[in-house]
Amino acid sequence: MSTRCCLYADSLTNDSKLTVPFPSEKLAWIAQRSLSPDPEPRKGGISKHVSVTDSILNVSWMADEARILRVSVSSFLDHLALVLETMEAFGPPSVSGLK
Amino acid sequence: MTIVIGFEGSANKIGVGIVRDGTVLANPRRTYITPAGQGKSNTRGLNDGLYVTSLSLKTAFAAIGFLPSETARHHRSCVLTVLKEALEEAGIQPEDVDCVAYTKGPGMGAPLVTVAIVARTVAQLWGKPLLGVNHCIGHIEMGRLVTGAANPTVLYVSGGNTQVIAYSKHRYRIFGETIDIAVGNCLDRFARVLKISNDPSPGYNIEQLAKRGTRFVELPYTVKGMDVSFSGILSYIEDMAERMVCTGECSPEDLCFSLQEVVFSMLVEITERAMAHCGSQEVLIVGGVGCNVRLQEMMEIMCKERGAKLFATDERFCIDNGAMIAQAGWEMFRSGQTTALEDSWVTQRFRTDEVEVTWRD
Repeated sequence: MSTRCCLYADSLTNDSKLTVPFPSEKLAWIAQRSLSPDPEPRKGGISKHVSVTDSILNVSWMADEARILRVSVSSFLDHLALVLETMEAFGPPSVSGLK
Repeated sequence: MTIVIGFEGSANKIGVGIVRDGTVLANPRRTYITPAGQGKSNTRGLNDGLYVTSLSLKTAFAAIGFLPSETARHHRSCVLTVLKEALEEAGIQPEDVDCVAYTKGPGMGAPLVTVAIVARTVAQLWGKPLLGVNHCIGHIEMGRLVTGAANPTVLYVSGGNTQVIAYSKHRYRIFGETIDIAVGNCLDRFARVLKISNDPSPGYNIEQLAKRGTRFVELPYTVKGMDVSFSGILSYIEDMAERMVCTGECSPEDLCFSLQEVVFSMLVEITERAMAHCGSQEVLIVGGVGCNVRLQEMMEIMCKERGAKLFATDERFCIDNGAMIAQAGWEMFRSGQTTALEDSWVTQRFRTDEVEVTWRD
């Protein structure tokens, strides 16, 4: 894959952005729909948005505190890794070697 | 022919079960076991460093000794292996599956999300409908399937739940429940005081020790109407256990025996009252504590006296497993229910009586 996964964080505003390329738009949407339904656990203090453009999954966070942002980003990465592993194990052949 | 695959991971077990029209094709499971005595046995300050919203869940899960984040990590590490095992054992292909069911709640947030994510992903990859299932309903439907009980009064007893349930007008209604901690939680935490092993489960080890108990130690008996309370008994036994064992007043075996006798009597009492209220002649025991043979014996005595019939299952189906979610999912799916992806969020609190039972008359 030509594009690479990229995580950007702004330490002043506690904003963060993540872009993850997928082999196809369809798989990017599957990831989006698997990772979006659960609301952020804490009441307030953070918002997260997950979207897809072409075959790229975009995630953006806005948080009041770096601590809350860190928890959310790290748990999202765990969940993303699980989605990728699931796709590798049960998805179309194009997915192998995704990680 | 309808095949449903069920994912369960609301507590420290991760299971994937496959059910085809009342037949369990596969039901593999893994349990996250912590070392004996791990965690805090004191009820004060239990919530330190834990993320759980409900107070009861907070005390319940902190006290069992498995933390949400570590349990979620355990589930992440083996969910795909368990899923492959289930498909292989059932001898089916993903395209044979008609519906993907998963536990929506109640339970610990992080493990629930982990399992739901895998369920959502495979449902989309395979192009199958998704279905969120209430964990308690899973226990009830599995119990009904395995035992053949038609319309039982249900005692649901586990590490996180204690409820007496009966069916009426499209709901499983809660007749009585714990007002503080679950009975299994009480046993688990007591096991930690005595440093009893968590392998295979603290409750199992208490049951084995209790068989060698010879002396009954008086403990507070707390039934309040249709409800029960276990936190007072736990504090009492926590406070006096060490002293009594050290001074030789009683043995750990005696304490295990006495605790079981008292808490199980309380459960039998509220179950009997619910039966009298509903005019029911059947009792079904489900949930992890339900495989305790002493509880089954005591319930059996009460049932005999009333001319009622007791139904219980063994550890394969009593303890959390994937097939129970598949079975409840099967019933729900056949009655026309599915869950849209955007509505497939998990919830730590999800009461048994919130679910409309569309599959029973």
